[in-house]
Amino acid sequence: MSRLSIVHFLRANAVVFSSVVQIGDSQEIRLSARALAVQRQLEYVDSREFPLLFPIFIKPIPTPPIDAEPLCRHTLHNCPLIAVHSVRVIGISSTSVVHIGSTKTVEAESRVKHIRQLTERRKEHASSRRSD
Amino acid sequence: MNMTVVNHHLSVGHIAIGGVASASLVLIGDSETIQLASAFDTPPESLIIGPFPEKQNNKKNEEKR
Repeated sequence: MSRLSIVHFLRANAVVFSSVVQIGDSQEIRLSARALAVQRQLEYVDSREFPLLFPIFIKPIPTPPIDAEPLCRHTLHNCPLIAVHSVRVIGISSTSVVHIGSTKTVEAESRVKHIRQLTERRKEHASSRRSD
Repeated sequence: MNMTVVNHHLSVGHIAIGGVASASLVLIGDSETIQLASAFDTPPESLIIGPFPEKQNNKKNEEKR
Protein backbone atom coordinates (compact mmCIF):
# COMPACT_ATOMS: atom_id res chain seq x y z
CA MET A 1 0.00 0.00 0.00
CA SER A 2 1.43 3.32 -1.01
CA ARG A 3 0.70 6.62 0.62
CA LEU A 4 -1.49 9.37 -0.66
CA SER A 5 0.30 12.53 -1.77
CA ILE A 6 -1.51 15.82 -1.34
CA VAL A 7 -0.09 18.96 -2.90
CA HIS A 8 -2.26 22.05 -2.70
CA PHE A 9 -0.31 24.21 -5.11
CA LEU A 10 2.26 23.40 -7.81
CA ARG A 11 3.82 25.93 -10.11
CA ALA A 12 6.38 24.95 -12.76
CA ASN A 13 7.64 27.74 -15.00
CA ALA A 14 9.39 25.76 -17.73
CA VAL A 15 9.19 22.07 -18.57
CA VAL A 16 11.56 21.44 -21.47
CA PHE A 17 13.57 18.76 -23.33
CA SER A 18 11.39 15.71 -22.70
CA SER A 19 10.74 16.37 -19.05
CA VAL A 20 7.60 15.35 -17.26
CA VAL A 21 5.37 16.69 -14.52
CA GLN A 22 3.48 13.64 -13.37
CA ILE A 23 0.45 14.06 -11.13
CA GLY A 24 -0.78 10.68 -10.02
CA ASP A 25 0.76 7.27 -9.43
CA SER A 26 2.93 5.52 -12.00
CA GLN A 27 4.51 2.13 -12.34
CA GLU A 28 7.71 2.58 -14.29
CA ILE A 29 9.65 5.62 -15.44
CA ARG A 30 12.52 5.35 -17.90
CA LEU A 31 14.29 8.47 -19.07
CA SER A 32 17.18 8.90 -21.46
CA ALA A 33 18.86 12.03 -22.80
CA ARG A 34 21.85 12.68 -25.01
CA ALA A 35 22.94 16.25 -25.55
CA LEU A 36 25.73 17.79 -27.59
CA ALA A 37 26.21 21.43 -26.72
CA VAL A 38 28.36 23.29 -29.25
CA GLN A 39 29.25 26.88 -28.49
CA ARG A 40 30.95 28.94 -31.18
CA GLN A 41 32.50 32.35 -31.48
CA LEU A 42 31.02 32.65 -34.95
CA GLU A 43 27.52 31.66 -35.85
CA TYR A 44 27.57 28.37 -37.72
CA VAL A 45 25.10 25.50 -37.50
CA ASP A 46 25.38 22.08 -39.12
CA SER A 47 23.46 19.30 -37.44
CA ARG A 48 25.40 16.59 -39.30
CA GLU A 49 28.82 17.90 -38.33
CA PHE A 50 29.30 15.85 -35.14
CA PRO A 51 27.82 12.38 -35.22
CA LEU A 52 26.87 11.19 -31.75
CA LEU A 53 29.76 8.75 -31.60
CA PHE A 54 31.76 10.27 -28.76
CA PRO A 55 32.75 7.83 -25.99
CA ILE A 56 30.49 9.61 -23.52
CA PHE A 57 27.47 8.62 -25.60
CA ILE A 58 28.51 4.98 -25.92
CA LYS A 59 30.27 4.01 -22.69
CA PRO A 60 28.04 2.24 -20.19
CA ILE A 61 27.53 4.14 -16.95
CA PRO A 62 28.08 1.83 -13.98
CA THR A 63 25.14 1.79 -11.61
CA PRO A 64 24.79 0.08 -8.27
CA PRO A 65 23.03 -3.25 -8.70
CA ILE A 66 19.46 -3.58 -7.58
CA ASP A 67 18.61 -6.53 -5.33
CA ALA A 68 22.23 -7.55 -4.85
CA GLU A 69 21.26 -8.62 -1.36
CA PRO A 70 17.88 -10.14 -0.60
CA LEU A 71 15.96 -7.55 1.38
CA CYS A 72 12.85 -8.14 3.45
CA ARG A 73 11.23 -4.80 4.06
CA HIS A 74 8.14 -4.11 6.10
CA THR A 75 6.64 -0.67 5.80
CA LEU A 76 4.02 0.47 8.26
CA HIS A 77 2.09 3.60 7.42
CA ASN A 78 0.95 5.14 10.66
CA CYS A 79 -0.28 8.12 8.72
CA PRO A 80 -0.81 7.27 5.03
CA LEU A 81 -0.45 10.89 3.88
CA ILE A 82 2.32 13.06 2.46
CA ALA A 83 1.09 16.62 2.61
CA VAL A 84 2.85 19.50 0.89
CA HIS A 85 1.27 22.90 0.84
CA SER A 86 3.07 24.40 -2.15
CA VAL A 87 5.80 23.51 -4.63
CA ARG A 88 7.47 26.08 -6.82
CA VAL A 89 9.85 24.89 -9.57
CA ILE A 90 11.47 27.33 -11.97
CA GLY A 91 12.83 24.88 -14.52
CA ILE A 92 12.61 21.18 -15.33
CA SER A 93 14.96 20.15 -18.11
CA SER A 94 16.76 17.28 -19.86
CA THR A 95 14.59 14.28 -19.01
CA SER A 96 13.78 15.12 -15.43
CA VAL A 97 10.61 14.39 -13.55
CA VAL A 98 8.60 16.16 -10.91
CA HIS A 99 6.34 13.43 -9.61
CA ILE A 100 3.43 13.84 -7.24
CA GLY A 101 2.32 10.37 -6.31
CA SER A 102 3.91 7.01 -5.89
CA THR A 103 5.90 4.98 -8.36
CA LYS A 104 7.67 1.67 -8.47
CA THR A 105 10.86 1.98 -10.49
CA VAL A 106 12.70 4.98 -11.87
CA GLU A 107 15.62 4.70 -14.26
CA ALA A 108 17.17 7.78 -15.78
CA GLU A 109 20.28 8.44 -17.82
CA SER A 110 21.69 11.70 -19.09
CA ARG A 111 24.79 12.19 -21.24
CA VAL A 112 26.00 15.69 -22.06
CA LYS A 113 29.05 16.76 -24.04
CA HIS A 114 30.21 20.33 -24.38
CA ILE A 115 32.34 21.59 -27.27
CA ARG A 116 33.54 25.15 -27.62
CA GLN A 117 35.04 26.54 -30.81
CA LEU A 118 36.94 29.78 -31.03
CA THR A 119 38.46 31.53 -34.02
CA GLU A 120 42.23 31.52 -34.40
CA ARG A 121 43.89 34.78 -33.56
CA ARG A 122 46.60 34.67 -36.26
CA LYS A 123 47.08 32.48 -39.25
CA GLU A 124 50.67 31.50 -38.36
CA HIS A 125 49.42 30.10 -35.06
CA ALA A 126 46.86 28.01 -36.83
CA SER A 127 46.50 24.86 -34.84
CA SER A 128 43.45 22.78 -35.08
CA ARG A 129 42.64 20.62 -32.13
CA ARG A 130 39.61 18.51 -32.07
CA SER A 131 38.27 16.22 -29.40
CA ASP A 132 38.01 12.49 -29.98
CA MET B 1 18.38 -8.40 5.64
CA ASN B 2 15.23 -7.52 7.51
CA MET B 3 14.11 -3.93 7.71
CA THR B 4 11.07 -2.25 9.19
CA VAL B 5 10.06 1.27 8.21
CA VAL B 6 7.39 3.17 10.14
CA ASN B 7 6.04 6.25 8.40
CA HIS B 8 4.52 8.80 10.71
CA HIS B 9 2.84 12.08 9.91
CA LEU B 10 4.64 13.98 7.12
CA SER B 11 3.63 17.53 6.36
CA VAL B 12 5.71 20.08 4.45
CA GLY B 13 4.96 23.78 4.06
CA HIS B 14 6.70 25.15 0.96
CA ILE B 15 9.24 23.64 -1.44
CA ALA B 16 11.14 26.08 -3.66
CA ILE B 17 13.31 24.54 -6.39
CA GLY B 18 15.45 26.47 -8.83
CA GLY B 19 16.03 23.75 -11.38
CA VAL B 20 15.62 20.03 -11.92
CA ALA B 21 17.88 18.90 -14.76
CA SER B 22 19.85 16.06 -16.38
CA ALA B 23 18.06 12.91 -15.29
CA SER B 24 16.91 14.19 -11.93
CA LEU B 25 13.82 13.40 -9.94
CA VAL B 26 11.64 15.24 -7.46
CA LEU B 27 9.33 12.72 -5.90
CA ILE B 28 6.52 13.51 -3.51
CA GLY B 29 5.46 9.97 -2.82
CA ASP B 30 6.86 6.49 -2.42
CA SER B 31 9.12 4.44 -4.66
CA GLU B 32 10.75 1.04 -4.63
CA THR B 33 13.87 1.50 -6.74
CA ILE B 34 15.49 4.60 -8.18
CA GLN B 35 18.50 4.57 -10.49
CA LEU B 36 19.67 7.88 -11.86
CA ALA B 37 22.86 8.34 -13.85
CA SER B 38 24.35 11.39 -15.47
CA ALA B 39 27.55 11.85 -17.44
CA PHE B 40 28.93 15.25 -18.29
CA ASP B 41 31.99 15.80 -20.45
CA THR B 42 33.88 19.05 -20.96
CA PRO B 43 37.52 17.98 -21.34
CA PRO B 44 40.28 20.42 -22.38
CA GLU B 45 40.28 18.71 -25.78
CA SER B 46 36.74 19.90 -26.33
CA LEU B 47 38.09 23.42 -26.84
CA ILE B 48 38.70 23.77 -30.56
CA ILE B 49 40.78 26.69 -31.76
CA GLY B 50 40.70 26.37 -35.47
CA PRO B 51 39.29 27.53 -38.75
CA PHE B 52 35.60 27.73 -39.39
CA PRO B 53 34.11 26.41 -42.60
CA GLU B 54 34.68 28.49 -45.72
CA LYS B 55 31.29 30.06 -45.92
CA GLN B 56 31.80 31.67 -42.53
CA ASN B 57 35.06 33.35 -43.56
CA ASN B 58 33.28 36.17 -45.26
CA LYS B 59 34.50 39.71 -45.71
CA LYS B 60 33.25 40.93 -42.35
CA ASN B 61 35.38 38.45 -40.48
CA GLU B 62 38.42 39.29 -42.53
CA GLU B 63 38.02 42.98 -41.72
CA LYS B 64 37.98 42.28 -38.01
CA ARG B 65 41.36 40.63 -38.22
